[in-house]
Amino acid sequence: MSDTLAGRRRPPGFGYTLIELAFRFSPLLLLAFFWEFLGLSGIVSQQMLPGLGEVFSAFVQMLVNGDLLYNTARSVSRAAGGLAAAVIVGVVVGLMMAQFRIARLLVNPIVQIFYPMPKSALIPVVMIWLGLGDSSKILLIFLGCLLPVVVGTYNGARGVNPFLLWSAASLGASRFDVLREVVLRGAMPDIINGCRTALAFSFILMVSSEFVIATDGVGFMISSLGDGGQYPAMFAAIFFVAGIGFGADRLYAMFARRSLRWREA
Amino acid sequence: MSMTHASAAPRQGAHLASGISISNVSHSYGAQGGGGMLALDGINLEIGDGEFHCLLGPSGCGKSTLLYLVGGFIPVQSGVISTAAGPVTAPGPDRSIVFQNFALFPWKTVKDNVLYGLKKAGYPSAEREERAQRYIDMVHLTGFENSYPSQLSGGMQQRAAIARTLAVDPGILLMDEPFGALDAQTRRVMQEELRAIWRDSRKTVVFVTHDVQEAVFLADRISIMSARPGRIQHIIDVNLPKDRGEEILENREFIGLSEHIWRLVREQAVAATRGVH
Amino acid sequence: MMNMAQARHIAPNMPTRKVPAPRAARAISPKTVDTLVQIAVVALLAGIWEFSARFGALNPFLLPPLSVVLGRIWEDLLAGTVLVDLGLTLYRALLGFVIGAVIGIPAGILMARSAVMRWFLDPLVSIGFPMPKIAFLPIFILWFDIYDTSKIIMVSFSCFFPIVAATYAGCSGLDKWPIWSARSLGAKERELLWEVYLPMAMPQIITGLQVALPTGMITTIVTEMLMGGRGVGGSMIMAGRFADSVGVFAGIVQIIILGFVVVKSLEIVRRRLLIWHPESRR
Repeated sequence: MSDTLAGRRRPPGFGYTLIELAFRFSPLLLLAFFWEFLGLSGIVSQQMLPGLGEVFSAFVQMLVNGDLLYNTARSVSRAAGGLAAAVIVGVVVGLMMAQFRIARLLVNPIVQIFYPMPKSALIPVVMIWLGLGDSSKILLIFLGCLLPVVVGTYNGARGVNPFLLWSAASLGASRFDVLREVVLRGAMPDIINGCRTALAFSFILMVSSEFVIATDGVGFMISSLGDGGQYPAMFAAIFFVAGIGFGADRLYAMFARRSLRWREA
Repeated sequence: MSMTHASAAPRQGAHLASGISISNVSHSYGAQGGGGMLALDGINLEIGDGEFHCLLGPSGCGKSTLLYLVGGFIPVQSGVISTAAGPVTAPGPDRSIVFQNFALFPWKTVKDNVLYGLKKAGYPSAEREERAQRYIDMVHLTGFENSYPSQLSGGMQQRAAIARTLAVDPGILLMDEPFGALDAQTRRVMQEELRAIWRDSRKTVVFVTHDVQEAVFLADRISIMSARPGRIQHIIDVNLPKDRGEEILENREFIGLSEHIWRLVREQAVAATRGVH
Repeated sequence: MMNMAQARHIAPNMPTRKVPAPRAARAISPKTVDTLVQIAVVALLAGIWEFSARFGALNPFLLPPLSVVLGRIWEDLLAGTVLVDLGLTLYRALLGFVIGAVIGIPAGILMARSAVMRWFLDPLVSIGFPMPKIAFLPIFILWFDIYDTSKIIMVSFSCFFPIVAATYAGCSGLDKWPIWSARSLGAKERELLWEVYLPMAMPQIITGLQVALPTGMITTIVTEMLMGGRGVGGSMIMAGRFADSVGVFAGIVQIIILGFVVVKSLEIVRRRLLIWHPESRR
């Protein structure tokens, strides 16, 4: 899944007119009406489905008292730390695997075994290793995001047109130059895709680990609001997290499109 | 065969043109399991300094393999290939190559592609820019400096690849069916341009093709190769005028030589087909 | 023009790496050697795990010896809890996955073929696809309580988006030649769907399923951890809370095996279904 649906036929970025935008997202409005209707008509209790107005005012309140931003910052910093480490280590390992048979033979079995493992199962493991603090969650996110980056880099590096390597060598590039300027560069589309998967994983693992083991962060905030019966605030926090995940992916997609401009004919 | 320039080419500036001496070179693929395929069998060939030499033969005759060996891209298994700089062991800018499928760096613009080899050669930045522009102009890509390869036609991409290779001023220019992917008209124009560039720069050119007319039009000498295992069957001198243009296609000598070579190549192709089935 | 044998040449080997020097004929192919070496690597890792834990190079609480972990699994297997846990986890993951597919594939097809459906679903899917679905878990718990229903619905919800997105992408932008061929051979619109559109979109649909299934398993484990009860995730988090590290690692080993089997099975299904596709040729 390299692209979202809408990106395919429309111009990149936010090149819509306001009317197009309104038309495109009008189904969301429809859903919102339906939501309000369910609540107001009494088909579903206010407890189960708080009114959108309530949700919004709870959102504003959390925003004003700083809870939301504080917890978001805590969560995002953990996710970013784990993800950044995974990208750096993953790219290096993937390149090594593509270049050296030894590295491939050593690392490939590990990838084969751990790639299909649902990474959330590591939550109790990191808890045993590092306790309930930040480091356990950073490690979890690092481990969860590592393999998509490794596999993406490896596939990309192996897929680089071998004639490009030869061209570079015959133009005077050293082995290291070829690795850095041709293999790494040529693998970039696959690396970018792998990192996008990793980005999605980092959010899933961030929220999951905070649901299960945490004392702060947005996941913790959502579950404690739920436990306390503050449902409007819980809904608001959930939508906020979903929105951040969506926004991060869109930003990343824009960045990816910019850096892969050379592929467009 | 002059092997007088024994010292390595200077780091900056022109690589000296040089002959190529290929002696007793054999090569096989997939040799490990025992059933290796012999691609080249005892090739001996002397290519002179400044010569335009075509390797001509049916598909699978190992002509590209021979070129890659000269380029140093695949290791020589048996025999010796040497140039003025000594035996060939690795790729280098003294023997630069143009591939059939261009092999431009798709993430670099035309200009950055051409600059790549110049940076490696250590030209100072101003000279680099000037030189890149000169070669881009030479292949008539002026105005397309900032285009990416994917935005260009096949002929333009190949011209960019040629500019990139010529810019590093290799003594030996290796060309692996460089016009094979182009349409007939573009091909003709490119052949004429290449011939003119060669005439002005006096490089040694080794040009692989399976198109007889192309070989006769371009070459000083043509090696006709047989298929599986690849051997050199005939070496033919092309004694046509140095200045060759469209009009030479009408030249009786050209036509006669083309037909003669066509018959020789056809024999090889027929033999190869029989061998396969 | 000259019309010779002119299949385009490609270098017979694509030597990105050093070509190994020819050696005397050997009975074992390089591929077998690779496989054997990789099996040896796994055995070596297992050995390192076992002995570093056993001889105190690592704190056995942080990494209990492999033999102890396997012993625990064996005990639990005899007691029957392993199969119950694995069975429940698999049941939740697969049922959720199937529901996601049963809704997602038709929705994707409808999006590709009807402008109204596209108008309605496109914004929902393009927002839902990249967001972390797991965040909605507390809502499902609120609505459906903490038993199987909420777990399975949560899993379906997270499987739905990759499937619908892949199906839509696969069914739109199809190559027109096979469709024109089928039409000119007399296929009706209804037949086209089954005989042309779906087979052509199949590679992408299966790719979507291959993204969805592991996502579904991740989600299953998290729901089990959060809500407790039986299931591998539930057992693991219990073990973790009681500082029973052997139990945690026993769970991890089970999960690794389960994940491996499920993912590889889907790969086999893919190869079966796409036997006609160029990707199946090796």
